[in-house]
Amino acid sequence: MAEEKKKPKKRMTATQAAASIGPMVKEFITGTNRARAEGKQKLAYTFIVCHHEEILLAMDVLPVWTENFAGICGAKRDAERFLQRAESLGLSRSLCTYALCGIGFDQWREELGQMPPDPPWGGQARPDFMISSGQILCDPRSKWYQASQQYMPDVPIYNMDMPYPMFERNRDHREVWDYYHRYIVEELRGLIEFLEEQTGKKMDYDRLSELVDLSDRTWNLIHETYALRKAVPSPMGTGDAMNTMVPMCFMMATQEAYDFFANLKKELEERVAKGEGEVQEEKYRLMWGGGLPSWFALSDFNYFNSKGASFPVETTYRMIEPLYEMDIPETKDPVEHLAWRWLGYWTFWYDKAKKRPGSEPDVERLITFIEDYKIDGVVMHEAFSCRTWHVGLIWQLHQLAKIYRPIPVLHLGKSGTNERACRELPSLILESDIIDITSYSEVDTRNKIDAFIETLESVRKSKAN
Amino acid sequence: MNEKTGVMSKVDRYYDDYGLRVRELSREGKKIIGYICSFVPLEMITAAGCVPFRVRGNIREPITKGDTLMETIVCPFIRSCFDLMVKGHYPFLSGMVIPHGCDSMVRGYSAWNYSLDLPYFHFVNIPSVVKESSFEFFGHELNAYRKSLEKFVGRSVTDADLSAAIKVHNENRNKVRALYEFRKSDPPMISGTELSRTLIVAASLPIEEANALLDEVLAEVGARKTSPFQPGPRILIDGPCVDNMELMKIVEDLGGHVVTDTLCNGTRDNWPRANEKIDPVDALARRYLAGINCPKTYRENKAGTFEEDIKSRFADIGYFARSFKADGAILYTYKFCDPFGFEVPARKAYYESIHVPLLTLEDLYSAGTIGQLKTRIQAFLEMIG
Repeated sequence: MAEEKKKPKKRMTATQAAASIGPMVKEFITGTNRARAEGKQKLAYTFIVCHHEEILLAMDVLPVWTENFAGICGAKRDAERFLQRAESLGLSRSLCTYALCGIGFDQWREELGQMPPDPPWGGQARPDFMISSGQILCDPRSKWYQASQQYMPDVPIYNMDMPYPMFERNRDHREVWDYYHRYIVEELRGLIEFLEEQTGKKMDYDRLSELVDLSDRTWNLIHETYALRKAVPSPMGTGDAMNTMVPMCFMMATQEAYDFFANLKKELEERVAKGEGEVQEEKYRLMWGGGLPSWFALSDFNYFNSKGASFPVETTYRMIEPLYEMDIPETKDPVEHLAWRWLGYWTFWYDKAKKRPGSEPDVERLITFIEDYKIDGVVMHEAFSCRTWHVGLIWQLHQLAKIYRPIPVLHLGKSGTNERACRELPSLILESDIIDITSYSEVDTRNKIDAFIETLESVRKSKAN
Repeated sequence: MNEKTGVMSKVDRYYDDYGLRVRELSREGKKIIGYICSFVPLEMITAAGCVPFRVRGNIREPITKGDTLMETIVCPFIRSCFDLMVKGHYPFLSGMVIPHGCDSMVRGYSAWNYSLDLPYFHFVNIPSVVKESSFEFFGHELNAYRKSLEKFVGRSVTDADLSAAIKVHNENRNKVRALYEFRKSDPPMISGTELSRTLIVAASLPIEEANALLDEVLAEVGARKTSPFQPGPRILIDGPCVDNMELMKIVEDLGGHVVTDTLCNGTRDNWPRANEKIDPVDALARRYLAGINCPKTYRENKAGTFEEDIKSRFADIGYFARSFKADGAILYTYKFCDPFGFEVPARKAYYESIHVPLLTLEDLYSAGTIGQLKTRIQAFLEMIG
């Protein structure tokens, strides 16, 4: 609580691109309020990672990213009053705090008939409708808007079901994905029908195809851009990636997002050519291996940097995979393609995971990143209020520990002879929340980081010997 | 009130030594398949010649090994079940079926699958919405589940096998309904703890044996000429899976009666029947998706008003409260349970609309909270008198 109203320290970014994000986010929020006042565009509450941005934009619907607004409240250290309001309605603090913040804000706005006092960046605009999503990913995505609807019952909901086949070691996911695909296509067509009804407009399928193509190209561009971070020193870290996730997650299917990543790519190429790193004297290369960040404590990344630690890669908010490496059927129908892309994304690591005993897709991705980005240690964050991204992390570290052992192991070297290698990979789990600052202690967090850095140093020395 | 005579002593024995019967069957070569959620289509397991077994947690067992493999932000009931499993409390299991019940189940799926290393493991993807396309999808998913079981048992599971399994599971549900009838009198003829123990035990037996046990319990309770209980407040328990007697015992020790519920191992598991007149896979898809009213499933607000929405979503609560003449209700949820947690304000509003006083409790699935629960329940019972 003591930290709540304290102005957050400004986090230093390594790239100019990341530094330019703030105004972009502010424009989302103020832009939706402007649109609400003008009344020319329909506003939809919705969630990221639903592969439906192209449909919304083709229908000229303005998305109101409710997770984004909650994150902004957290980053501005102004979420507590909305969380408390949600609690006063009977909602437990142990639930998703993004959702609690959003519901608390909505209830307050509806009760007043206007924005709550001093709302962050003008507040969250009242939507015309809400698009929730029942995935095998996140329960709050199908419960949040239903709970908010209690306070604005005139706002309809379309709940999209977007399943994907779970990884089964003894099954080829392609055996079942045809019926998954058919179902997802129906759900997306249902969304189009709902939007046509709500907006009174008909879908322009040529426009939709153009937007889908733009997204696909942006996906590939992001993949290539982020791959530049493999350089030593790494030109960009996870702290910056928590900014550059904005165009990836909130602006997909826009030329602006494509241009943003084209510029970022250029900037990273220049930095690599000049040998400029996130940390100039890079001593440790870390992976942010899971968990959403504490939006109110992003300066912790700078603290890592001050110890010579950079973050060349993260699994969080890397919500794309290269389309050209996806084994999905080709189709000219943009809706069918969106459904295939959805399945291709979630099953991307399945084949690779099957080849390694004891692996599974999330673990396989970690191993691949550890090797490709020359990682010395893994940092994860366990946010108490979110099961979606934070359950399974401990088990993943267990599996990694079976490969990256703290004892020297022999492996077949390039020369064909046995070589001795120390592959120990220390890990750190930070504990707090995404936006509930009452769960955070800067002193404890930094003590943990200090101890982790000491471990990394000790491993570095033992490897050198 | 527990006489420990006749069939109730048998129920107590099976309850106290949970898994006693399947342990014997396992030794005889029978395949026992575990599950932890109402969404697992049990008929498919029975049709494959295996025995479905509802895994229980234990509020008195500290979670130890489980916490080294799974985060503490998982639903405490699921954590307890997982902990017991990895500590080897259910060595007779040949497999597990995990459904898309909630994030705690789904996101921990790999930890379950790899840590337990059972010969059979399967995930059933349950749709989140109720409409024709989701029934069709679910039907395909059920056939994939059937195929995986066929591979495991080495024989085909025919539609006739499924129809027979549906019939015998429906018989089970009919018997449970008959048992609930004994709760309608005031005071009830069967206590909440007697009934819940019976249902918990029944979920640990092969379905035919569960039916035989229910017949015995029905006969014994039916032979009671008068209620052995004193009148007291009649309580409905609303919530997820409650697989221990503490909550009901508190109510009963304080002079109240648990007369009905919406619990997973109560009416949610046992009330909806599958249609025996249609294609068996379609019947299961409809029974498990439309019939089971779990907050995990999104149900569209078709009327466009909040009042009509809750009337439709919580119709089961209204039905049970009316039919069993509940004087009050306890909404009992677990910390970290998103599906139930987000419905608390709407459920509160619904209880208000049907004029049933409500006590809401968020618990930790631990014996350590019994004292606190007792204080709150005592105050509530005094209030509703």
